[in-house]
Amino acid sequence: MNAEDIQQIFFVECEESLEAAEAGLDELKAGTHDDETINAIFRAVHSIKGGAGAFGYVAMQGFTHTFETLLADVREGAVAAGSDLVDLFLLALDCLRDHVDAAQSGGDAPDDAALIDQLTQAQAVNAKPEPSDAAEEEEAGADQAGNTSTADQDLDALLDELMAGGDTPKAAGTADKDGKEPAGWTVQIRPHAGAMINGNEPLLWLRELTELGGECQECHLTELPALDEMNVEEGYLSWTFLMPADAEHAAVADIFDFAGDNCTVTYGEQGATNTAATDTATAAPEPIPTPVETTDTKAAAAPKAAPPSEAKSAEVPAKAEATPPTKPAAEAPVRKQTQAQVNQSVRVDLGKLDKLIDGVGELVIAQAMLTQRLANESLAHIEELSMLDTLVRDIQEHAMAFRAQPISSVFSRVPRLLRELAGTTGKHVKLEISGETTELDKTVIERLSEPLTHLIRNAIDHGVEGAEERKEAGKDPEGTLSLSAEQKAGRILIRIGDDGRGIDREKLRNKAIANGVVDPDTQMSDEDVYNLVFAPGLSTAQSVSNISGRGVGMDVVRQNVKELGGRITIESCPGTGTTFTLALPLTLAISDGMIVQVGEESLVIPLAHVVESLRPIDADLKGMGSGRQLLNVRGQFVPIVPLRKIAGSCRVADNPSTGVLVVVETESHGCAALLVDAITDQRQFVIKSLDTHYRTVDSVAGATILGNGRVALIVDVDHLVQSEATSAASALHPPTPSQTAAEAELAKVA
Amino acid sequence: MTKGHEMTQSTRILTVDDSASMRALLLNALQQEGFNVEQAVDGQDALDWLATNEVDVIITDINMPRLDGFGLIERLRESARHADRPILVLSTESSDEKKRRARDAGATGWIVKPFNADKLAAAVRRIAH
Repeated sequence: MNAEDIQQIFFVECEESLEAAEAGLDELKAGTHDDETINAIFRAVHSIKGGAGAFGYVAMQGFTHTFETLLADVREGAVAAGSDLVDLFLLALDCLRDHVDAAQSGGDAPDDAALIDQLTQAQAVNAKPEPSDAAEEEEAGADQAGNTSTADQDLDALLDELMAGGDTPKAAGTADKDGKEPAGWTVQIRPHAGAMINGNEPLLWLRELTELGGECQECHLTELPALDEMNVEEGYLSWTFLMPADAEHAAVADIFDFAGDNCTVTYGEQGATNTAATDTATAAPEPIPTPVETTDTKAAAAPKAAPPSEAKSAEVPAKAEATPPTKPAAEAPVRKQTQAQVNQSVRVDLGKLDKLIDGVGELVIAQAMLTQRLANESLAHIEELSMLDTLVRDIQEHAMAFRAQPISSVFSRVPRLLRELAGTTGKHVKLEISGETTELDKTVIERLSEPLTHLIRNAIDHGVEGAEERKEAGKDPEGTLSLSAEQKAGRILIRIGDDGRGIDREKLRNKAIANGVVDPDTQMSDEDVYNLVFAPGLSTAQSVSNISGRGVGMDVVRQNVKELGGRITIESCPGTGTTFTLALPLTLAISDGMIVQVGEESLVIPLAHVVESLRPIDADLKGMGSGRQLLNVRGQFVPIVPLRKIAGSCRVADNPSTGVLVVVETESHGCAALLVDAITDQRQFVIKSLDTHYRTVDSVAGATILGNGRVALIVDVDHLVQSEATSAASALHPPTPSQTAAEAELAKVA
Repeated sequence: MTKGHEMTQSTRILTVDDSASMRALLLNALQQEGFNVEQAVDGQDALDWLATNEVDVIITDINMPRLDGFGLIERLRESARHADRPILVLSTESSDEKKRRARDAGATGWIVKPFNADKLAAAVRRIAH
């Protein structure tokens, strides 16, 4: 893994952290938070700060530091998380997101000066001492101390002698070579049993002292018991070090910062080495930086030359060997180094993944062809083939799962959008989200963001009324935007609903007539009228705002959704709001289908729509005039739709009692029974777009290649049933004008 | 000479950090220095793993979900098997109060993030028993 890969992990992590922080802030705002909420927000910002430092994003690091400091105060209860503060946090979070985006794209960091001021002020108001200055000084101090440490190699050699020989004036002599003046003050250290038990390493202290220029004058052996009385965890030795005059007491105290009560440290004048202390401390009085602290900023720096390997200490027997094994020793080697136990993941280039998925698509076709071929040889039911079938299906499922992502990654951007819109329109809108864990294909997710953003802008700008107007209408002055996602009938349904004024049917129609989009004499159903929203160049907004309302966009939205193999529908209730529903395919590549025979053609009905198939008895069939028929499915009447229209063949069963009826379910038009000649197979198919190879054909969702190498059209069930229903409805029930009169009062529209 | 190298080879380190990028940085830095690296995603994860495994040195973050660094150190010091295991804290925090808390809990040393790979490795070598 190189630095760039790790940086990518960091950006993914930033995204997660931003989402977590945003979720937390939303809870704070809604008042549904608990103790863990603020912790989680803090951790998220803190984690970004850590990475920003490691990767050298100085501006981001600075900003997160200020942000985090205020969050820490809130966490510790020094600052109350009022709603003003939560709003400030949300702004800060947006700014942090900009920082992350800038870092990722290599752009300039955003101007955060004003926000940093606000954050600092918010903290100052609560008059808590600012800890960061102290921390920085301290870090600076540590850096200096760190710079003095250099020749590890010599020191280790020295320490070896210290440990091995005990009293070694010779060692002191060696250390003298760097020309330190052998005058100054002394320090005597006496580690206690606790030091070793707490994982401290007296050897380390000796080494640190030497790094500060100290020389070991004496190793005191007087307390050393006889060998059989010796306890391995007890400390028996003490040392006197002569420190150079310019060595600072504080720097020495730092070394024992972590020793606590586990080591007696005694300071003295030179020449008083064996006498008692002039300054005794059992613990470092002011624990400042500790021995091993470093503050370098380039953590991701290129690897340097390997350290001197002869640097070897005398305590050799490695800890691992010394520790009595509590488990069979074999267990440790079994576990390979590296990966985390949880969240194991491999990063794969998306292009490679797509190639795999394309390959799986081809595999599905090849397998179907093989099946066909074997069937010709009467080998269709051999066991190997069904094994292959299961395997291919498994591979396909797993391959598609690689691409699945929860829709939360799109939904999570909405709160920010709403905040921005609140700023520009003055309309404050509550957000209700459900089903955010619903998973969708990555491509769908990526291409969903734009239409979704447009629909939301539209809903806020045109749908939701201003606070005054809402009050007059007896509504909550704060509007509500609801976003939901769910998987239904093999599709993902995403709903964007507002509780605004709804679509003014008549006004929309008049506008369309005025713009020449529709003919004044055209009879239009509600749905037809609402769909005018998507007509190019049509907007009924009275003032064109800079958010939406230029009349471009909604047609683009529909186009975007269509390109994803999806459909968009509108439901609107005057005075109570409008809901847009996007129905999107689960995947863009492979689907399950029922292969049916209609005349000479094979057609594919996506299995997701299929409820059941049956041969009707005459008693279940009801004529409706004009050749239409209904099928009685256990008391429910559904229209029968012959597939001959798609097959384009005249030698097709027209009589349901001689064919097979496939009952299908649609999103917006209930159930229908598709009349076919026969059902020939059920299998997976790879969707090939007709648009790219030919042109869009009504009621046809695409084409696929069958096992026998022939092309079969895939039925767009929704469109087919809808167009049948529309033509039936317009034949039977022309729209009545009374509906429209009731709506005339209603306000402007999307 | 080769003996020192062997010591590094056999030194097994557990890094505990909830940040994947930080874990990756640590892994890179420490593996480059020849250490054997194990990873845990938070304090609880580390405890669970240490229940059946041994390491020579533990490097832990402080701010983590489930069980934070302080909690981890305290729990390890309570356990007989890991009571004297060297534990380095690796944190962006650098306040005296936090350090004192870590020391009281039984931490062996404190390194401020962002870390320098060489110095970190040197520190690990020094405290690895």
